[in-house]
Amino acid sequence: MSDAITLTDVTKRFPGVVANDAVSLSVESGSVHALLGENGAGKTTLMNVLYGLYEADEGTIAIDGTPREFDSPRDAIDAGIGMIHQHFMLVDTMTVAENVVLGDEPTTWFGLRTDADAAREAVRDLSERYGFDVDPTARVEDISVGEKQRVEILKALYRGADTLVLDEPTAVLTPQEVEDLFAVFEELTAEGKTVLFITHKLGEAMAVADDITVLRDGVNVGTVDAKNTTQEDLAERMVGRDVLFEIEKDAVTAGAVSLAADGLTVTDADDVARVDDVDFELREGEVLGIAGVDGNGQAELVEAITGLREPDAGTVRLHDEDVTTASRRDHIDAGLAYIPEDRHERGLVMDFDLVENGILGAQHGAPYASRGVLDWRTARDHAEDIVDTYDVRPADADADAASFSGGNQQKFIVGRELERDPSVVVATHPTRGVDVGATEFIHDELLDRRASGDAVLLVSSKLDEVRSLSDRLAVMYEGEFVAVVEPENVTEEELGLLMAGESPEGFDE
Amino acid sequence: MSKYRRALERLVDASAKERIAVSAAALALSILVGALVVFVSGIVATCASPAFSVLGVDVCYDPINVFTELFLGALGHPEQGGWSPTNYRIAIALQQTTLLIFTGLAVAVSFRAGLFNIGVQGQLVFGALAAAVATIWAGAIAPTGILGTVFLVPLGLLAGAIAGGLYGALPGALKAYGGANEVITTIMLNFIASNVAYVLVSTFLMPESSQLVQTAVIPAAAKIPNVPFIGFEARDAFSLLALLGALAFITGIAYLLAKTSFGYDIRTSGLQEEAAAYSGVDAKRTTVLSMALSGALAGVGGAVWVLMVKGRFLTGLPSLGFDGITVSILAGNNPIGVGAAAFLFGVLKSGTIAVDFSTDVPVELVDVLRGLIILFVAMPEFFRLIGKRYLGLGGEQRA
Repeated sequence: MSDAITLTDVTKRFPGVVANDAVSLSVESGSVHALLGENGAGKTTLMNVLYGLYEADEGTIAIDGTPREFDSPRDAIDAGIGMIHQHFMLVDTMTVAENVVLGDEPTTWFGLRTDADAAREAVRDLSERYGFDVDPTARVEDISVGEKQRVEILKALYRGADTLVLDEPTAVLTPQEVEDLFAVFEELTAEGKTVLFITHKLGEAMAVADDITVLRDGVNVGTVDAKNTTQEDLAERMVGRDVLFEIEKDAVTAGAVSLAADGLTVTDADDVARVDDVDFELREGEVLGIAGVDGNGQAELVEAITGLREPDAGTVRLHDEDVTTASRRDHIDAGLAYIPEDRHERGLVMDFDLVENGILGAQHGAPYASRGVLDWRTARDHAEDIVDTYDVRPADADADAASFSGGNQQKFIVGRELERDPSVVVATHPTRGVDVGATEFIHDELLDRRASGDAVLLVSSKLDEVRSLSDRLAVMYEGEFVAVVEPENVTEEELGLLMAGESPEGFDE
Repeated sequence: MSKYRRALERLVDASAKERIAVSAAALALSILVGALVVFVSGIVATCASPAFSVLGVDVCYDPINVFTELFLGALGHPEQGGWSPTNYRIAIALQQTTLLIFTGLAVAVSFRAGLFNIGVQGQLVFGALAAAVATIWAGAIAPTGILGTVFLVPLGLLAGAIAGGLYGALPGALKAYGGANEVITTIMLNFIASNVAYVLVSTFLMPESSQLVQTAVIPAAAKIPNVPFIGFEARDAFSLLALLGALAFITGIAYLLAKTSFGYDIRTSGLQEEAAAYSGVDAKRTTVLSMALSGALAGVGGAVWVLMVKGRFLTGLPSLGFDGITVSILAGNNPIGVGAAAFLFGVLKSGTIAVDFSTDVPVELVDVLRGLIILFVAMPEFFRLIGKRYLGLGGEQRA
């Protein structure tokens, strides 16, 4: 078999950082190849070099054995490379077919009119050939995330891509959609296409890839055959040390109630209850997990608890204090830390540097402000402490938040929230988009808070995460807690059924 | 495509020194293009005495002469003998600089808070009216001389700040509690301000002898005095003291934004509303307060216009509020930059008068030249702003 892509000694430097250091990589034609590495290992940079978005400082690219130079994505597309970015680039108000042909439309009337019928036919043919279940006439705003991703893949195929490069394709998908995507990979390779995908999830790489290349600190630390490797081996290559997959949780006796909700109800603009009459009590030294498919009211519940939104009915109590209508600032001052799911919009100000971001939420009052005047020296020390303790890379507190990779941004947020020494921690998807080493670290930090007697509310769609960290586990479905279980007494299958709104046979709460 | 992208990246990553160099180059280029415009206009125009002839074609305007007047004439020709740093033209330039610093700061504060206060003109009108009314009324009980000045000038400025502040807080409250878009409401409030001021003055405040719609003259003691630097003439309507005051306001606003909790709230709200809410910023309160602060700065500008320039309120104020928008954009909404941009505007204003006075070039053509200069100098900053957004789309690319 020949190689679809050959990268030789590709080096890409940014000011102060070598993102890719003489990386060589061969992707066999017709195979699925995973590019595995921690956040900030240089995976995306390497792919952007391949796609012509960045110019490599050194090294060469060969496609099907022919050396090529890419000045722009257009050159890469012409060479048969299609890239599917993490954030979709689709026009929401146009149909699937219109999106697929956009910029490359079939025309009639000597190029004056877009041939909508031909476009629809072409998209339908493509989608049938690869077994995609996508309706060409549907509007993009109406289809699911998984379907949008397939539209992106169709776009690349329509432009004649032989090799598809996908950046963290599973980050935005539900477990079922991930399965579907992997089935698509098989269809693609069966048709002779080559798939190269970026991930930091070991399990995915092993499940679907033929070959796995591990990148660490911008260096290729080896390409392995997926069949002849183990999770432990890959993790060690990625992180550079042993990684424990088992979470060790000490027994902690739960104390007084820290956070309680009673009859909590949140309705949306259309008067539909997003959170419907939810009760719970969270005690000191306890982790309460909330599992559920995204969009079943978790986000609204968390907003009501953290003071970002006033509930429509019910009460929230924080340390015996009724905080139902208290401001967000009051919640912060009362010792509630909140690790938000959306770090780009909520958790960080992207144009602020880390020094400024380090006081986000603490900009009023001691120790960073007195009588309305900020103490930037203390703020700087604080940011540098977080960067140090939580291993934020690169260790530059003066860099804008936007310049850090997702995992490092998340480490910084976790550090900032936990360093405030809270008594209640609300963590939503704390390890989403975070690599295995940092995930382990964040889990340890959360369990440390629990051990020192803090209460932790953990919302996550990762089943293994909520199961292993939680003392009690609530399953949320359509705004309600359909079950509250002990994680040890429930199987993953039973949880899956509960999350889907079904009651497992013979299941007893 | 990637060639343009790289150029954009260079621009976005430019250091402060490079940005100054880019601005200087843009200024030079705008003069070059402007000179060409003057030259071509000079060929097209007909005149009795051409400035010079090229290849038998008469050219009415001399581009070199026009730009000499626009920049050096604006300062009273420092290159010629007998020049004094306190001449009439410099006074005009600095007077405009002083006024535009206030309106420029007003716009900058609102823009930094993510609010588009297009109503600075209206807030300026009410600030000016309040300053005139307050000093005229208080003049009856105030002592004369320096003691009166110490009492009346701060009173006038305070009245301007309060009136402008309240008139700015109004659209702020409409946005915070009613969801009304502040761009629309502030534009409408501009018309309301000038018309209400007209009615108030013509109905209640006009001296009987007056032909124009204007108030009585403010007490002599209420004029911002031309001390401690003697030199500018009283008829120049410029006080170095006022300029120093404006510079103090620049320092104050820069300090507020960079060093205070409230400034942090403003900047966070302006950059990312959701992050601001997350950090405990009360969005409604911050919206009202930033608009009030912006309006108060505009109001002080209006007060200075009355207390330093006109000595009374009269309708049909110059468009200082709208120029403030351009000044602020030119300055990248940076308070320190507002000082520099306001000075450029002041020089161009004084230069326009100089060109009009000593050449035959129509004043409309001078406006074109001014527009060209502002456009050229503003564009690199504009592209930096856009470029930041555009390049930021990739987000986590710089792994």
